[in-house]
Amino acid sequence: MAYANADDLLFGQSKFPVKAGLGLEIGAGYTSPEVNYAPRPQAGKSKDKLVKEYERITTDIMARMVQIGAPSVVLETEHVEQMSNNPEWGGAVAHAQKTIMEEYHDEYGIKCALRHTIGDIREDRDYLQLRGDKYSVFIEAFEEVAKNGADLLSVESMGGKEVFDYSILRNDTAGILFGIGVLGSMDMEMVWKDISDIAKKTGTVSAGDTDCAQANTAMFIAGGLLDKNLAHTTAIVARAISAARSLCAYEAGAIGPGKDCGYENTIIKSIAGVPITQEGKTSTCAHSDLMGNLVMQCCDLWSNESVEYHGEFGGTTVQCWSETLAYDCSMMNVALKTGKAKDLRDILVLSDKFRDPQGYVLAYDNAYRIGQAIAKDGENNYLRAKNAAIECCNIVEEGANSGKLRLTRFETSALAKVKADLEVLTDDADKFMSDNLTKFKQEVAVFRPENYGL
Amino acid sequence: MLDLKLEDIDGILVRYNVALEKEMTPDEAAEELYPKDELIYPVAKAIYEGEEDDVVDALKAAIDAGKKPIALIDDALMVGMGVVTQLYDDGIIFLPNVMMSADAMLAGIDYCKTQTTEVPEPKGKVVCHVAEGDVHDIGKNIVAALLRANGYEVIDLGRDVPVDEVITAVTNEKPILLTGTALMTTTMYAFKEINDKLLEKGIKIPFACGGGAVNQDFVSQYELGVYGEEAADAPKIADAIVAGTTDITALREEFHKH
Repeated sequence: MAYANADDLLFGQSKFPVKAGLGLEIGAGYTSPEVNYAPRPQAGKSKDKLVKEYERITTDIMARMVQIGAPSVVLETEHVEQMSNNPEWGGAVAHAQKTIMEEYHDEYGIKCALRHTIGDIREDRDYLQLRGDKYSVFIEAFEEVAKNGADLLSVESMGGKEVFDYSILRNDTAGILFGIGVLGSMDMEMVWKDISDIAKKTGTVSAGDTDCAQANTAMFIAGGLLDKNLAHTTAIVARAISAARSLCAYEAGAIGPGKDCGYENTIIKSIAGVPITQEGKTSTCAHSDLMGNLVMQCCDLWSNESVEYHGEFGGTTVQCWSETLAYDCSMMNVALKTGKAKDLRDILVLSDKFRDPQGYVLAYDNAYRIGQAIAKDGENNYLRAKNAAIECCNIVEEGANSGKLRLTRFETSALAKVKADLEVLTDDADKFMSDNLTKFKQEVAVFRPENYGL
Repeated sequence: MLDLKLEDIDGILVRYNVALEKEMTPDEAAEELYPKDELIYPVAKAIYEGEEDDVVDALKAAIDAGKKPIALIDDALMVGMGVVTQLYDDGIIFLPNVMMSADAMLAGIDYCKTQTTEVPEPKGKVVCHVAEGDVHDIGKNIVAALLRANGYEVIDLGRDVPVDEVITAVTNEKPILLTGTALMTTTMYAFKEINDKLLEKGIKIPFACGGGAVNQDFVSQYELGVYGEEAADAPKIADAIVAGTTDITALREEFHKH
């Protein structure tokens, strides 16, 4: 564990700050906004149109940050598929954006950095294609953006998703664990070693991943309090498992900041001490969650997830959202300077901690416990993922027993089922692998073990 | 860390799901809905429980006792699935239960087909696809499962489906409904292209679209578009069409919520 106790986890401070871009140090005692955006759909028709769109987006954000006196900002460009499938497009966009950011940095001294998140293009119409030709293009996309101005390299990788998608819709606990904790981890190890090599070669930052493809899928299917698509107690178990999986990036050489939609990031920060980006109330433009304040608790960068670029009453969307993020960061930075940061952190946490089992487990005191469960068998991808899942069940049970976390009977019985499923699982990783390979080769038509070198 | 007293929590948030939870357990609610026929009851119960082997065993017993395999599809399998979809619509059971029941029901239909030369008659045919350029298919898989669970024949074109392939499928299959799902704003524009090409060919069928970044405003921009906010809207739209509402404006009136 990077931190001796949970109370040391705080926003704006990480054990191992990361220097990036133009004068920025992430996790070094202050928070910064990280603005994320999507081009208008028709902008992807040609490379020139796309570059122009990103130039407009970048200029709008940098101008608004200067207009309101924000000292720092990170821009995150999540690739549309054209940019990752045609690596030179991604490179051209990174170059155009960085040129504008350098102009603002030179003129105003604003600290800034550019993250490019490559699309996980490793699939064809019918199957994931994690290795082979698609992988070469994927890696080339990282190289191109790194050589052309991107400072932080990220991806939302999808290993294990074919098994997870099948399992989450059938309450198959072993399948969820196999998809995220085993297959996902195996793919992460391969991907992040190669991304980290590129970062070393190009002087950029191997930043980190998120289990968006799986844990966020579970969270979105689970939905709001009244939705009936997935028990929230099941969704949070998937999230706990995802921390064991997303940690693989940092073991393979990534140093942070982790990606915004990785709601598992507080757990990872407790283990690895890396800075993290988070999103919550400021990402309602992209999706709803049940922990809009809580998730700000330990962020180093504060994000809006994504917003389509277009006009609003207050300017373009990227201007409106970057301004909102910057004011939130200003509040956190004042708390840090005045010695009130822990109070603010706890207020943020308590405003959501009992809203839903997902927020309850991700509250930093409980997230730290999940971290400890992962670290206990840190060398074994399967066991640590299983530990995380079991500890998650224990935490929710304790919360319910305290009377403060109120569960529906449905959530309670779903939790009992997951826990019972976990308790009968083997402790032998090889046996678990062998059993589940056999099972999912039969049950999931699109599962191809060769994607994982199996 | 700071903490809240138990009595303070209610002033900060309300767990409406806890407050409004139905008194009856799902098993009790299902028991009330099962058909009483002693040969049909075990089929319906096995469907609810999502137990494929039990479904087949119960079907075997019913056939041995003289029930016709083809009739069992409508009279037992669909009735059992009807229990499941009603409980889901009433908010008593959750989606994974429906998915497992749908798997069990399909296993039952496959078994019945092996026991007869007659061909079952579906409620209608629906073509489902994920937009060209988009490989996110969990939403489409849910839509397809819910449609099948409601007795529709589903032609599942898969994900990242080229526009022309959708047009060909609609031309050849003549469905009552086409569905399209997309996660990303960048891919959903394929729906407009499909709309235009269908109209060029003079095909005017409802085109139910939803998923991810797809929204009602966007879907309303093209003539055949009907927005489905939830996957569960797909069988409801299909039911409305079967019941005679084929006019797009009328469907929008019923299903557009914003």
